[in-house]
Amino acid sequence: MSGGNYRVLVVEDDPHLSAGLQENLRAEGFEVHTVGDGLKAVEWFAERQCDLIVLDVMLPGLDGLGVCRTLRSRGTTTPVLFLTARGDPADRIRGLEAGGDDYLAKPFHLQEFLLRVRAILRRWDWYKSSSASAASAVLRFGGNEVDFRAFRARAFTGEVQELTEKEAMILKVLAEKPGEIVSREDLLERVWGYDVFPSTRTVDNFILRLRKRFERDPAQPRHFLTVWGVGYRFLIGEEP
Amino acid sequence: MKTARIFQLTALLLVVVSVFQVGYWIVDQREQALSKVAALERQYDHELAAGRALLTAGIPEERLHGLLPDLSVAGGQVQVDPRVTEALAAEQHRRINQYLWEGGFFLLALCACIAVIWMALRAEAQVLKEQDSFLALVSHQFKTPLASLQLSLETMNLRPLSPEQSRTLIERMLADLQRMETLVSQILDSVRLSRGRVDLKREPVPLAAAVMRVVASMRERAANGRISIETEVPADLTILADPLAVDVVMRNLIENALAAVTPVGGGRIIVSSRRVGSGVELTVRDSGVGFRPADQARLFEKFSRLNPGAGSSYYGTGLGLYIVKRLMQLVGGTVTARSEGLGRGSEFVLTWPLAAEQS
Repeated sequence: MSGGNYRVLVVEDDPHLSAGLQENLRAEGFEVHTVGDGLKAVEWFAERQCDLIVLDVMLPGLDGLGVCRTLRSRGTTTPVLFLTARGDPADRIRGLEAGGDDYLAKPFHLQEFLLRVRAILRRWDWYKSSSASAASAVLRFGGNEVDFRAFRARAFTGEVQELTEKEAMILKVLAEKPGEIVSREDLLERVWGYDVFPSTRTVDNFILRLRKRFERDPAQPRHFLTVWGVGYRFLIGEEP
Repeated sequence: MKTARIFQLTALLLVVVSVFQVGYWIVDQREQALSKVAALERQYDHELAAGRALLTAGIPEERLHGLLPDLSVAGGQVQVDPRVTEALAAEQHRRINQYLWEGGFFLLALCACIAVIWMALRAEAQVLKEQDSFLALVSHQFKTPLASLQLSLETMNLRPLSPEQSRTLIERMLADLQRMETLVSQILDSVRLSRGRVDLKREPVPLAAAVMRVVASMRERAANGRISIETEVPADLTILADPLAVDVVMRNLIENALAAVTPVGGGRIIVSSRRVGSGVELTVRDSGVGFRPADQARLFEKFSRLNPGAGSSYYGTGLGLYIVKRLMQLVGGTVTARSEGLGRGSEFVLTWPLAAEQS
């Protein structure tokens, strides 16, 4: 996968790191833009778009977590790769909860960085291409209607709900093979990539959220079924 | 560390045990004194009974007094000599008093020991906590230049580069090393300063020359960032300070000013000085990013890098202003900071005592 046609925004206040990342991403064929502080990153996004944001956590103005939250609250679903000098699990989780897709602790290996950038873009490519046709862009089940392209759903109650990108991706993975068992590891790999989260419990939490949104009785799910010890099974129609 | 803690806790335990031991000793001695007195009283009672029996048996009074000297016999009446009773009561009182005073003194001394050990333990816990957070902050400060170094090296390893690109990367790496070196020396300075382990001289230092030396060493960097440094320091001002400390303070303040002006794309730094009363005031004013007046108190804390919205402290370690403050405190000077807000520049004012009156 070459970097062709992908546009990456690097938000990093350290001029050396910023320049180094820019040069390397350019060498891989990406179109790269850089900004040095959080508020400017938000401003940049008000007028432009990109396919991936490489976001430092410690930034002047508005920190990386704040930038990510602001962009997500404005409906931006562009994937975010966090870079940070703090790499303990609590910080990772904070970054991912703020809406990040992946997390890399400084100092990092250049090749790992490039690998992760490509992995995130590959996941998004899959999501976009599998939602490209009018038929695959919309999923209907049990009175719910999910629009994958708009990240929006109308629940059986008639309420319109905004989906986070991760919720939409999980739904997409499950809906690809209705009736078949999808393991937790599979979901993690397809939606988050490798070694991002400390445990597969995260997947369970997302499934709970989806049940709350789309099941008439979340305690007695009819669509998002648990297969004990393995993973989940998604049913479009109700279990006979 | 753990062994030291075990020793301290053992000492504390021993002292607490001693407190109980001394308390027990006081009670025990008092009981013993009382029981001795009771035994004596019983003995006197026996003597009294014997005396009365002897008198009834017809022993003359003088003879009886010779046999039982603790009794007084007068007009056929026998009783314990009141002087003996008084002496006994006085002795009892003296003993009990002695035990109370001695025991009380030991108890007080032991309680003081407990308090001292307890305070030492608390102080040590505090120091450990501070050291931990200091270490966390220090390691965090190193990660950015390390990440930059690693990125440059791995880039060189991964890609064929033109000589010009290689030169850029090498310059970048050298600058990263310089950053880490500055960080190391500032960390050492700040550790020494916060423990007060510095021997500062107090001697006359010609201020203008000291300022000029520092400014001259930074002119090139300033010019690269399109920053002009102007100095207005009268040649006759001589302050009472440590020449090395003055150098460190000036260097840190001008570094700080450069870091504040660089992000706004250049500007001015003015270093001026004047006599005020019996002291000398030196002001470093810059047209840089400034800071919120509310953040003024935090400026001089360790690792407090304020982020005033324009990427000020690119290369800041967060230690420079802390070092300035400690050095000024140690030489009996002061440092204050002022800014009218973000983007409106800032002003740092130092004061030193004036060296002996000049002609």
